[in-house]
Amino acid sequence: MSKWQTMRKRLKLNRPSRRRYARPPRQRTPVGMDFTAANLAVPLALQCCTDCGAVQYPPREVCANCLCGSLKWRPASGNGRVLASVTLHHSLWEFFKRRIGAAPWPVATIRLDCEVTVFAHVAAQTFDNTARRDIAAGTAVTVFSHSDCSRNAVLIAVAANTPIGTRAQRSAIAEQLGLTQPAEFTGGI
Amino acid sequence: MKDYSGVVIAAPISFGYAKQSPRGANWFIGNTLREMLRSAGLTKDDVDGLAISSFSLGADSAITLTQHFQMSPRWIAQLPYGGAAGLIALRRAARAIQAGDAEVIACVGGDGAAHRSFEGIAANFSNFTIDASFPYGAGGPNTAFSLITQHYMERFGATREDFARIALDQRYNANHYPAALLNHKPLSLEQYLSARRIAGPLHMFDCVMPCAGGEGFLMLSEERARHLSIPCCRILSAGELHNAHREDDVQLRGGWTEYADALYDAAGIGPKDIDILQTYDDYPVISMLQMEDLGFCAKGEGPAFVRDTDMRFDSSGPQERKLPHNTSGGQLSVGQAGSAAGYLGIVESIRQLTGQAGPNQVSGAHRAMVSGFGMINYDRGLCSAAAILGSAET
Repeated sequence: MSKWQTMRKRLKLNRPSRRRYARPPRQRTPVGMDFTAANLAVPLALQCCTDCGAVQYPPREVCANCLCGSLKWRPASGNGRVLASVTLHHSLWEFFKRRIGAAPWPVATIRLDCEVTVFAHVAAQTFDNTARRDIAAGTAVTVFSHSDCSRNAVLIAVAANTPIGTRAQRSAIAEQLGLTQPAEFTGGI
Repeated sequence: MKDYSGVVIAAPISFGYAKQSPRGANWFIGNTLREMLRSAGLTKDDVDGLAISSFSLGADSAITLTQHFQMSPRWIAQLPYGGAAGLIALRRAARAIQAGDAEVIACVGGDGAAHRSFEGIAANFSNFTIDASFPYGAGGPNTAFSLITQHYMERFGATREDFARIALDQRYNANHYPAALLNHKPLSLEQYLSARRIAGPLHMFDCVMPCAGGEGFLMLSEERARHLSIPCCRILSAGELHNAHREDDVQLRGGWTEYADALYDAAGIGPKDIDILQTYDDYPVISMLQMEDLGFCAKGEGPAFVRDTDMRFDSSGPQERKLPHNTSGGQLSVGQAGSAAGYLGIVESIRQLTGQAGPNQVSGAHRAMVSGFGMINYDRGLCSAAAILGSAET
């Protein structure tokens, strides 16, 4: 067998959909990795400008307001309101494909009180039964960060007043979402 | 704003649309260029300017392509700006020709579609995408656009039937455009409404199909075109504005609102005088935003506008108001060939205005509005561009 054929065969057998474990996207930029590091210790940390004080998201190199190059990670309040919320029924990424196979995956854009817009996974189980299926725009939510099983911090939105004060409470929510465990392929080869 | 006199566009070519292809972007760009030169009766040494748009060049760039194609341009631009790429190339190239920096400029957009390559483009689109949107469900642009669509529907009461108007009339147009990937498939309202769910309010026929292909046109001075005696059309006005309305929480409008009036003033016409509208239609809601922002109807009236407008190329629909829209079927029915999709509207408009369109020819069309929108960096599209093109008689 030629080298080319061997490579092709290896790629075919090793494609994401055949692997036993699928994980969320691991790739981050250097400031994205800083986001993960800064969020290890606190429920939510966002970059703040040392000059004008503006809070920043997505993670970036310079202040969006005054272009100051010195941004510091500071604990931030995760309170905000839903701008739009949808459930995903299709994904390009194997981890989410497998999760969506079990149930549609809810995500939302949320405007935080500190005037940044975030994308977040939605912990639908924290909303009451009427709101769960379709979380309306304007619903009050709280956003916190938690490591997924690719060891990156990701944002999770829960209904306002959900207890998330302790790490155990936050971990339980992330685990219930299925973010802390890889999606397992049980079909065999 | 200086006008675009003395410059014409010609040689519209759409090349090699395929759902998947082992060929790279270079192959699609090179072949499109070859077809363009053949149709204009030029050789590659006659081309002294080159504008290239592509997402899948890999380690290559517009400069490395000059050695690949053995060309020696004295003006070059690489404009990987997605849905606005073609219009941005048109504006840059027109100014270069007016300034005398180049005489004949080839503007080409092309992308390959290797197995699973779209996943790679979506995953590596930009820094904000990598850190803050791709990890959340990894739907690519579907996620951002489902949120924009959901918000638009809640705010203005648009329904899926309204979006269907756009998708269905475009499919009718594509059924008469042989190069469209979905040329052979009719689409009914029932099929549209019962399609597979993708994300939130978006279902299968609301989403473009990534594919491979190339689109290109030549820009040259008026004398040169007359000398070659090739069919061409003119630029009546053009504008662009990027990352406009950044204070909006969710995208409801694009930069067009800021220069649409200037476009009509410069062309000396109004929205009613536009014979053909080509919007960037990666999702129907975006076409609706463009109709509103370009002055065809007021903000929030897009759903009502599409309900009583016949958008078929041959005006065969029952509605009173006629506005042929995306006459080749747009990306929703032709396919989205990466950066070439940003050239699709211009190329189709040149074909229409020069009478080269074939089965989907709009009769008596003299003015076309082309609009571009692109680059979903995080939660919204950043680029906006638009141009009014006129036939040679205008």
